[in-house]
Amino acid sequence: MLSKTRRITAGVAGAAAISLLAACSSSGSSSTAASGTSTGASASASASATVLAGGKSCSSSSTPVMFWAWVPGISRAVTEFNKTHPSICVTLEDPGAGGAEYTLLNNAMKAGSGAPDVAEMEFDELPSFIIQKYVENLVPYGANNYKSDFAPWAWSQVSQGGAVYAMPSDFGPMAFYYDQQTLAKYKITPPATWAQVATDAASLHKQNSGAYLLNLSPNDLQWLMDVMGQAGAWPFQYSGGSNVTINWTGPAQEKFAAYWQNLINSRAVSTVNDAGTEVNTNLDKGVTAAAIDSAWAPSYFVADVKQSMGQWRAAPLPQWTSGADVGADWGGSTYPVFTQSKHPAQAAEFSEWLTSTDASWNIVKTPPSSLFPTYLPTLNSGSFTSLTYPISGTSQPNQVFSAAAKNIPATPWPPFMTQALTQADTTFGGVLSGKETMQQAFAAFQTAEVNYAKAQGFDVST
Amino acid sequence: MSGTAISAPTRPTQGESRSQPRHSAFARRRDRRGSAFVSPFLLAFLLFMIVPLGYAIYESLFTSRLIGGTVFSGFSNYSQILGSGMFWSGVIRVIIFGAIQIPVMLIIAFFFATAFDLGVARFGRFFRTIFFIPFAVPVVVSALMWGFLFEPSYGPFVHLASALGFHNTNFLSSSLMLPSIIVIAIWEWTGYNSLILYTALKSVPRDIVEAAILDDTPLWKIILKVKLPMVRPAIVMLIFLNTIGALQLFVEPLILNNYSAGVISLNWTPVLYIYNTSINDAQYNLGAAMAVVLGLVIVAISVTSLLFRRRKGEFK
Repeated sequence: MLSKTRRITAGVAGAAAISLLAACSSSGSSSTAASGTSTGASASASASATVLAGGKSCSSSSTPVMFWAWVPGISRAVTEFNKTHPSICVTLEDPGAGGAEYTLLNNAMKAGSGAPDVAEMEFDELPSFIIQKYVENLVPYGANNYKSDFAPWAWSQVSQGGAVYAMPSDFGPMAFYYDQQTLAKYKITPPATWAQVATDAASLHKQNSGAYLLNLSPNDLQWLMDVMGQAGAWPFQYSGGSNVTINWTGPAQEKFAAYWQNLINSRAVSTVNDAGTEVNTNLDKGVTAAAIDSAWAPSYFVADVKQSMGQWRAAPLPQWTSGADVGADWGGSTYPVFTQSKHPAQAAEFSEWLTSTDASWNIVKTPPSSLFPTYLPTLNSGSFTSLTYPISGTSQPNQVFSAAAKNIPATPWPPFMTQALTQADTTFGGVLSGKETMQQAFAAFQTAEVNYAKAQGFDVST
Repeated sequence: MSGTAISAPTRPTQGESRSQPRHSAFARRRDRRGSAFVSPFLLAFLLFMIVPLGYAIYESLFTSRLIGGTVFSGFSNYSQILGSGMFWSGVIRVIIFGAIQIPVMLIIAFFFATAFDLGVARFGRFFRTIFFIPFAVPVVVSALMWGFLFEPSYGPFVHLASALGFHNTNFLSSSLMLPSIIVIAIWEWTGYNSLILYTALKSVPRDIVEAAILDDTPLWKIILKVKLPMVRPAIVMLIFLNTIGALQLFVEPLILNNYSAGVISLNWTPVLYIYNTSINDAQYNLGAAMAVVLGLVIVAISVTSLLFRRRKGEFK
C-alpha cells in the first residue's frame, strides 16, 4: 500500500494534529486564567487597561509619569496634579485591584520593562517588593521632609533600615462597627473587653439561635493577623534581609486561637467566608449584629445596605485588658516609585503630592474615593472627624476611627504575603466548615510557612 | 472508511510507481507544493508547542528564590516533585475523576448516538444541536452557572434535594465536590462525544446491519454486538482525548472554590497546583518542572489506551 516513510509521516502528522485537538478539547485549556482565589491573588487584569487620566491629553513637552491605581475616583486627584504641575503629566490606568496588579508588577519588573513609574501598593505587599529591589528609596527625593505629617505606625510600615520605600496614603484603623437597632434589640451595649464580647455573643445567640454578634472568617489572613496584632500575638518578625521569624504556635497565638475556637464551638459566632456578599447581607439583615471593621469598610459595605441604612455606629475596639487602648489596622495603601522608572524624581514628586498635601487630601477623602488618611493634618482636622455618612445617620464615626489610629502596634509584614494569603485560604478554609479547629489550622499554617520560607532561602527562626 | 478523525490517503503515490524515477521534476514540484501547504501548520506547531515546551524544560532546571535569585539546580525540582505528596494526591484525584467520568459519559453519549442513528427521536437534528450546545459554552461560564445551581445556601438544586427528602445537602462539600464536578463534566462533554459517535455509527456499512436484521437478531444485540464493535476506533480515540482532558481538570474547581471555601485546596488537581505554585508562590521554575512531570504522566496514561487498541489488531 503506502511506502513506509509515508506511513510514518502520516502517523506523525496525525499524532501532532490529535495532540492539538486534544489541547482544544481538554477541559481546562480552553480558557485563559480565570478569576482567581478569593484572596485577590489573581491574574485577571488585562494588559490594555483604560486610561483614566492624562494619556493623550498630555503635552509632549511634559515629563510622562505612568501611574497604576484602583482607588475609585482617584483620577480627580491626578487631573488636579496635572493642572497644577504642567511640566509633569501623569497617566492613570487601573490594572485591577490588589493581587491582580501585584502579579502584573512582578512580571513587568522581572521582564525588565512594562512597569509603571508609581503604583498603589498595600502595606503588606511592600516588603516583598523591597526585598527584590523593585522600589526606589525616596529619601534622596525629600521624603523625610514629610515624616512628621504622618501617623507613626504608617511611617514605620514604609521605612526599612533608614530608607523610605513608599509614601503612605490611606489606612483602616479598626473599631467595633455595629447596627445600633440590632444591638438594642438584644439588650447589648458595645463591649469594652474581649471577655465581654464572649459573654455578649453567647447571650445574643441564646436569645436568637439564628443570629450572631460577630462573624469569623479566619481565611482572610490580613484581617486575622491585624486582630492578632491587637492581642499582642503578631506572628511574624521581619526587618529586611534574609532573617525572618515565624511564630503561629507561641503562647500568645495559642491563647488567641483558643479564644475564637471557644466561640465557634459554642456557636456564638458564625463562620461565613467574608469573600462573598453573604457577609454583608447578613449584617444588613441583622443575622450578624456587628463586625470588627476598618474605617474604609463602610464604603464597601454601603452597596449591600438595604434595610439598615442610618443605623450603623462605630465604637472603640474591645480590649484584652480592661482599660487598655490598643488599636489595630486593616489594610491601607502606599505609593512607591519603581526602580524601572525613567523619571524617578518626577514620579517621587507626584507620590509626595498625592499623599502629603491638603490639595490632594481634600479630593481623595471625598466619595467615591473616601480614603481614610494617614496624613495627620487631615486625620485630626475637625472637618474630617465631624463628617457624617448616610449609612451611620447623624453619628460621626470618624471620631472613633481617628482616635483608634493613635495606638496601633507595629506590624512587620514578611516579604511573601501573596503566598501566605493563598496558603491561608486553603489552610483556614477548614475552620469555616468546622472540619478543623483554629489551633489545628494555626499549626498547619506554621508548618506551611516555615517550609516555604526555608525553600525561598530565608534563615527562619521560630 | 471508519469514523476516525485522520484517514490516510489511499491512492498510490508517485514514489510507488516503478515506471518513473523518484526524483523527477514533477515529483519535486509536488513535494514543494505539499510542503507549502503543511508549513504554516508546522510553523505554528513549532512556535506554540515546541518552543514553549523547550522553554519550560529549560526553566525547570533552575530554582528562583527571594534570597539568592535564580540559580541552576539541575534535577532538584524534579526530585522535589517526585517526593511531593501534595502533587501526587492531586494526580490520584484526577485519575479517579477520569476513571468515573469518562465511562459514564461515553455510555450516555453512545446511548444518545444510537437513539439518533436509529431515528427513534423525533426532530433528531434539533435535539442533536441542543445536546451539542454545552460544548459551545465556555468552560468558565459552565462552572459559574453550575456553581449557582449547586450553591449551598440558595441554589435551586439544594431546594430540589430538600423537596425529595434529602435535607441540608451541600453539593459542594468536601465529600460531594468531586461527584458534582463529574456531573458538570458529563453535561459539558456528552454532546460532543455523542456527535462523534453518531458520525461513526452512520458510517457502519449498511449491508452488515441488514444481514443481522435478516438473521432475526434482536435490536439490543445488533447495537451491542454489531454496531458497537464497528465504532471501536472512534471510542478508543474518544477515550484517548477525554483522558488527556480529564487529567488537566482546572477551571471547574477554580471557579467552584468561590462558592465553597476550604474544600478546594491549592493542590486539588495537578494543574491547579501548578497554577498556584507559579502565580501565587512566584515559583515559576518549580511550576515548569511540575508541568513537565504532569505532561509525561498524561502521555503515559493516554498512550496506554492506544496500545490497547493496537493489541486488538486495529493496526496492520
